[in-house]
Amino acid sequence: MAAPHRQSRPSNALFAAPYLVVFVALLVVPLCWGVYLSLQKADLFGLYGYTGWTNYARVLGDALFWQAVRNTVVFVAVTVPVLVAIGLFLGLALNARTRGAAFMRGVYFSSTVLSVTIVTLIWRFVFIPGDGLLSLAFEAMGWPPIGFLSTQGWSLFSVGVATVWWCLGLPMILILAALQQIPGDLYEAAALDNASRWRTFTRVTLPQIRNTLILVATIQIVMQFQLFGQAQLMTNGGPNGTSRPMVLYIYRAAFENWDVGQGAAASELLFLIILVAAMGQFWITNRGNKA
Amino acid sequence: MKTLLLTSAAIAFAATGASAQTTIELQRFFGACDADYGNSTDVDAAVGECGIITTLINRFQEENPEIDVEVTTVEWPGYDQLNAQLASRNAPDVVSMHYSAISDYQSRNLLEPLDDLLAEQGIETSAFTEAALAGVTKDGQIYALPFDNWTMLWHVNLNLMEEAGLVNDDGTPLLPDSTDAFFEQAAQFKEATGKPYLVQIYANETAAYARLFYTFLMQQGVDPFADPSQVDLSTPEASAVAEFMKRIYDEGATTTDMDYPAAVAGFGAGDGGIGINGTWLIGDWAAQSEEEGNALSDGYTVYPLPQLFEGEPATYADGHGWAVPRDPGRSDEERAAIGTLMTFLEENDGAWARTGHLPAVAEVIASEEFQSLPYRDNIAPVAEMGQSLNPEVRRQFAIQDIIGEELNSAIHGTKPVEEALGAAEQRINDLLASL
Repeated sequence: MAAPHRQSRPSNALFAAPYLVVFVALLVVPLCWGVYLSLQKADLFGLYGYTGWTNYARVLGDALFWQAVRNTVVFVAVTVPVLVAIGLFLGLALNARTRGAAFMRGVYFSSTVLSVTIVTLIWRFVFIPGDGLLSLAFEAMGWPPIGFLSTQGWSLFSVGVATVWWCLGLPMILILAALQQIPGDLYEAAALDNASRWRTFTRVTLPQIRNTLILVATIQIVMQFQLFGQAQLMTNGGPNGTSRPMVLYIYRAAFENWDVGQGAAASELLFLIILVAAMGQFWITNRGNKA
Repeated sequence: MKTLLLTSAAIAFAATGASAQTTIELQRFFGACDADYGNSTDVDAAVGECGIITTLINRFQEENPEIDVEVTTVEWPGYDQLNAQLASRNAPDVVSMHYSAISDYQSRNLLEPLDDLLAEQGIETSAFTEAALAGVTKDGQIYALPFDNWTMLWHVNLNLMEEAGLVNDDGTPLLPDSTDAFFEQAAQFKEATGKPYLVQIYANETAAYARLFYTFLMQQGVDPFADPSQVDLSTPEASAVAEFMKRIYDEGATTTDMDYPAAVAGFGAGDGGIGINGTWLIGDWAAQSEEEGNALSDGYTVYPLPQLFEGEPATYADGHGWAVPRDPGRSDEERAAIGTLMTFLEENDGAWARTGHLPAVAEVIASEEFQSLPYRDNIAPVAEMGQSLNPEVRRQFAIQDIIGEELNSAIHGTKPVEEALGAAEQRINDLLASL
């Protein structure tokens, strides 16, 4: 008689082993190594001894670090809802089996396949003063020009616009996939009950794709906390550090100042922040689910 | 069948043996321009840093078919990438390096001293200019082949200056000799042309701010790094420079918000009278001025940054060299190939000087070919005026970023001048103390 398929056997672990080996080698080991480094005085070329919590104290006492944290939190708080909202809007708008919709899905997804270098180059053409698209538009309207990449406030906004444009494809596709999973009979039932479009949307569509929305938000929170390339290439964190995200702070510490210990300490703090934010978001949405 | 296989394998092996080449990896900034110069070996026809270095390496390849130079072009200045390569023991064989960055790598024993290699190639250190040799020498040894000296310059759009009545009878531009004269000229320029006097790099870059700041401090005889382990920015001279730079912005005497490419394009398009930018653009702008129908047509010249403060004439200068990262596994053939490349680069320093950089080889400066290049008389004083930071100061690029960032705040009024200078001092000293 065959063994019940649910029965657990040690040899089953073999199936998970390839993934686990890679996971441990590429994630767990570097994570532990990072914690170790953060407690050392270290540059890229060697370790100079255990320094305890000194690196953490230096990071936490650094006004630039807190500025980077603030920038990153603001960036996440603004871009993630925008990405989810526009992704949902596009998903709904393009959830049709027509050629036009299929084409537009391709168009909206296309920016996602570009590298960050290309994305920032494109948006530089839009934002740069003088010959930039917006600059020319402002000139045509007779408005005073704005230094989008070099003015406090506008620089982070500009990075955000480029990011939303770049990252929009994934939320749209995930939401679209979820929308297409909704059984048609639910809509039929709603139609029979004479439900309005809004009511159908809030009572049928949204509850059905709720889990996907949570997934999209969680992925985006984790991704946007790691903002780096766009900020480095478009504004280099400026002016006055007002668009410098945490990863750029870490990069500066480790690669420009060669202070790997400080960079590692800041990385561990970023790890904790992302963990708390993602878990917090997950907890809040799940609590609502059970209520 | 078996014979056939063996024969073909033997042929393949012989073919590899016959074309055995020594490969050396060269990593550089100076930009990528393969579309224009990818296959060209005509160095004389090339213009600009990228064009000249690309054709030079192509020419080297042609003359030395047994050496294969693999070129990697990196985003300026490329040290972050080099650091990662060094940390992973995967550094290139030859890398472009600013003199100001050498002490970082030399102090961590990451660079090969080149004295023996150059001596084997018959290159005498006395061949180099004093400034260039000083730039690459640390603890009595040479850590890079010096290639040039460079500085920021006063690039002049003579057409606009003429329109503003700011030229002498002999057609040379009026250069300010004090900060007051500077603002008088700026006002006169703006009134006549409606344009700002200066075209500056204000966004997304910190180097330009720091180089000007150093220059104006040096013009007052102040060395902020008298002690290489800490900076002193609490001096009245430092405040005076920052206040001057802020006033330029406040009075609208400069373009604003331009990043490096925008500032280069802006000066070329006639957005202002004076472009503050490096030696490396002389070649490009001189070539542009010889063409018809553009903002610089028949109306370009260039001078050192004018002496605006009381003191001995001075301007901040640095230089580019070719360093060789340490690699215990490097073969004799590779080492010899590096030597051949170094000799070639040294011999062609005159071609490189066409970019606008000051040559590192003394003989080139004296040569008629160099002397006959346009505007070289004007900028010749840089050889005397040029000063570097205290060469023992480490992390000069990180320091430059801090100074540039804080000055940006002061200039744009987001921080009071004293607060910005205080913050810069505190950040730099924290950085240097952690080394």
